[in-house]
Amino acid sequence: MSEVIVVTSGKGGVGKTTTTANLGVGLAMRGNKVVLVDTDTGLRNLDLLLGLENRIMYDLVDVISGRVAYKKALVRHKKFETLFLLPTSQVKDKSAVNPEQLVQLCEELRKEYDYILIDCPAGIEQGFQTAIAAADCAIVVTMPEISAVRDADKIIGELGRADKENIKLVVNRIRPQMVEKGDMLDMGDINDILSIECIGQVPDDELVVTSTNRGEPVITMENSHAGQAYRNIVGRICGEQIPFMEFPKEGFFAKLKRVFGR
Amino acid sequence: MSDAIVKIRGTRSGLQLSFAKDADYEAIEKEILQRFESGSSFFVTGTEVFVSKDSLPHEQIEKLKRLFHRRGMRFRTEKHAAAHAKGKEQQQDQRQPAKEAAKEPKPGKDTSTEPQVQQMVVINKTLRGGQEIQTESSVLVCGNVNPGAQIIAGGSIDIRGTCRGMVHAGAYGNSKAFIIADHLMPTQIRIANLIARSPDVVEKTDKAERASIKDGRIVIEPIER
Repeated sequence: MSEVIVVTSGKGGVGKTTTTANLGVGLAMRGNKVVLVDTDTGLRNLDLLLGLENRIMYDLVDVISGRVAYKKALVRHKKFETLFLLPTSQVKDKSAVNPEQLVQLCEELRKEYDYILIDCPAGIEQGFQTAIAAADCAIVVTMPEISAVRDADKIIGELGRADKENIKLVVNRIRPQMVEKGDMLDMGDINDILSIECIGQVPDDELVVTSTNRGEPVITMENSHAGQAYRNIVGRICGEQIPFMEFPKEGFFAKLKRVFGR
Repeated sequence: MSDAIVKIRGTRSGLQLSFAKDADYEAIEKEILQRFESGSSFFVTGTEVFVSKDSLPHEQIEKLKRLFHRRGMRFRTEKHAAAHAKGKEQQQDQRQPAKEAAKEPKPGKDTSTEPQVQQMVVINKTLRGGQEIQTESSVLVCGNVNPGAQIIAGGSIDIRGTCRGMVHAGAYGNSKAFIIADHLMPTQIRIANLIARSPDVVEKTDKAERASIKDGRIVIEPIER
């Protein structure tokens, strides 16, 4: 049974696209057939993170408008045979795709793929409404920062309004040292406000930046903490019970309060 | 002076209008329209307006009715609906505006003639930023009220969870309304026509608290529950 998952956040810059790319690679590493759909039309980035920009021939807008079959627009990943990207257009804007069209496309993709990950644009306007239309499940990405949490809260409300009840939380870019000192919201504060199931806590990691620039998602790096966190999220999506990892702090492991998902 | 022509009184179910004995219809209508234009927060969509049947001739009542209906308000000339609603809790999905559900008192449920009746809207979810509940009745929230959410209730508000949003009880003038929450840390509390804001550094309380009006001020005190 295939699943359509939308990755969304409300606020920009919290790591939606990074999360989409990593989860896509992680799911493909486990042998699933995965397609990543970029719906951030006009500001496409997902192809860069996967290092696939130079292989794009057609895009989402071409597929939606019926110019080409979706199979022609899919770009296969260099390393992972079962991972495909459906890039979007860099020249058109969000109005080029409407919710019904995306739902229809996802229905077709469901026949072939195990997981369909949709990378949602920031904001709560039309682009967001389009991106969530087809989803069975939503992953809300946030950061331990008051504005990001506030926007995530709004997004969860919007998802509820659109009858999306299966919502999971990923907290990205946690800086353990700052949390330790009380300078950053901790998981308790975030869960308090958002009160939805948390499936991932990803530490801030310099390797994310370098891997992004190289077009190789950090999840493939064995020695990266963020990569490990993403591998854990993939496991949890596949239904495994994995405890949250403890974050490293200047050489040894800081005893952080573990927050288990409900 | 002009207040004497149309008198507005907030009741549990809505607004009660009464008119000066010798006022002519033109003056009444003019006065009401003026109130509309002034952007008074009394006359919002969904508000129930009650005018006693024998305060005006029939055709003038009909005219008034149309006037209020055009503004999206409900108009009644009898008190029956309030009696019907007695003790009824309306299960309510937060997606629907609260006022919609409150709009249809199911007839024949309870015909007691007790005048002091209360309606309650129950919200079984967390209210998130940007969501708003607006109702003339009281509100019970089984969940949190997050920052950026708003509750505007004609009656009292009870929150079984943490309140971080904006809450307004007794919004139609009932200064006896109160607000209770397990953790009361709202951005603003309003009761009737009073406003209080939270201190700039908010601490999480471990006891349920109740806000009400005492001696013309909003007072917050811990309660057991």
